[in-house]
Amino acid sequence: MRKTIVTVMSGICLMPLLTACGTQDDTVKSADIFAMDTYMNLKAYGRDAEAAVAEAEARIYELEQTFSVTNDASDIGQINHAGGQPVTVSDDTVSVLQTAMQMNSESNGALCISLYPVLRAWGFTTGEYRIPAKNEIAELLQSSDDTKITVSGQTVQCPEETEIDLGAVAKGYTGDAVMKIMQEHKISSAIINLGGNVQTLGSKPDGSAWTVGVTDPFAPDTLLGTVSVTDKAVITSGNYERYFTGDNGQKYWHILDPKTGCPADNGLVSVTVIGGCGAECDALSTALFVEGTERAIQHWQNSGDFEMILVTAGGELLMTESIAANYTAKKEMPCRVVHSNEEP
Amino acid sequence: MKNRKILIAAILVFLVSVCLSVFILRHSDKQIIEIVQDGELLYTFDLNDAEDRVIRISAPDGGYNLVQIQNGTICISEADCPDQTCVNTGVLKSDYLPIVCLPHKLIVRFAEEES
Repeated sequence: MRKTIVTVMSGICLMPLLTACGTQDDTVKSADIFAMDTYMNLKAYGRDAEAAVAEAEARIYELEQTFSVTNDASDIGQINHAGGQPVTVSDDTVSVLQTAMQMNSESNGALCISLYPVLRAWGFTTGEYRIPAKNEIAELLQSSDDTKITVSGQTVQCPEETEIDLGAVAKGYTGDAVMKIMQEHKISSAIINLGGNVQTLGSKPDGSAWTVGVTDPFAPDTLLGTVSVTDKAVITSGNYERYFTGDNGQKYWHILDPKTGCPADNGLVSVTVIGGCGAECDALSTALFVEGTERAIQHWQNSGDFEMILVTAGGELLMTESIAANYTAKKEMPCRVVHSNEEP
Repeated sequence: MKNRKILIAAILVFLVSVCLSVFILRHSDKQIIEIVQDGELLYTFDLNDAEDRVIRISAPDGGYNLVQIQNGTICISEADCPDQTCVNTGVLKSDYLPIVCLPHKLIVRFAEEES
């Protein structure tokens, strides 16, 4: 009997030690990167994590140069200053342009990458904010039409006055490029945060799902809730990310409606898209934000290869059925689950 | 008699290990802060044990941020960066939302717990 007690007790005594030793022997490597005008964090688990993160960091700087709108020598700088002439660009630029143009078509023009001159007029490119006059916006909108951009092989051609900016897609594409490098290095678990765009590879090293925060658009320094995901991108567009308040007390944000040239105000303050492809999720989050509540729901019902969490200006939370099961609320907000067969 | 000694010893070891377990598991109550500038870890400490003070951090370009520790909270109280995003972020609240000063490449965050 006593022997049994001693054995059981010894077993219990050893438990904390076993727990302490039971951690993964995989290496973990993380890096903080300041690029693309934002803060990024990469974290990878695996034997080759250090090399993977170093290669990913170099790739981020490379893509930053390629997509930079302020560098005249970049692909985008060259397109914008070509005076209507064709320009030869990299595979990366072709790929991002194709994603953006496809989203432009799927969203009936809600995602528009040729709004750069309008964005500049509002001061969102420099931080010197102003409210442009209506006729100024109307004039600039005449050269904002993605359907006039042609991509043929490696060649891109735009009308003379058109200027593009890949801000709505570039970070998502960069996330995909980083994940490709991770996979080449046989990394089993990775999580990256590119200025609020979170992308995950596999699950956490312990096999559980990653937990990704969803920002409260009404109090952006706090979370509305979290979603549990594996192998997914979780990308948000919100009216709290870049904005200014005019002398009239009104808030003006950086996501513009291509129809009006003014901040998109169609009932949504935040759109989070969850899906497999970062570039697509990134483009979608902007497109759905511009489309507004009803059209966003229709868009999801017609497409169906992504999940979304919408926050309306009225303070309602709408989420698609599959993600609802993986959402944990941090704050109480009226919530409605959107189904694939319902009327929007 | 000998058996009784072994039993007492076992009970003692058991009690010590229970105390140890509590001590080991308690470490998750710590709030370890990391202050990182351009990839370099400048400071790391437990916010719960930290004394109230202000740390001045100089940026390589000559700018500065003042990191304030007060009553178990941490924030960037002052900076000469143009956007003031770091100051406007307020006190550090969550693992998900670090305080970031982009112009000065400065991050104030909770260190991730080892699982």
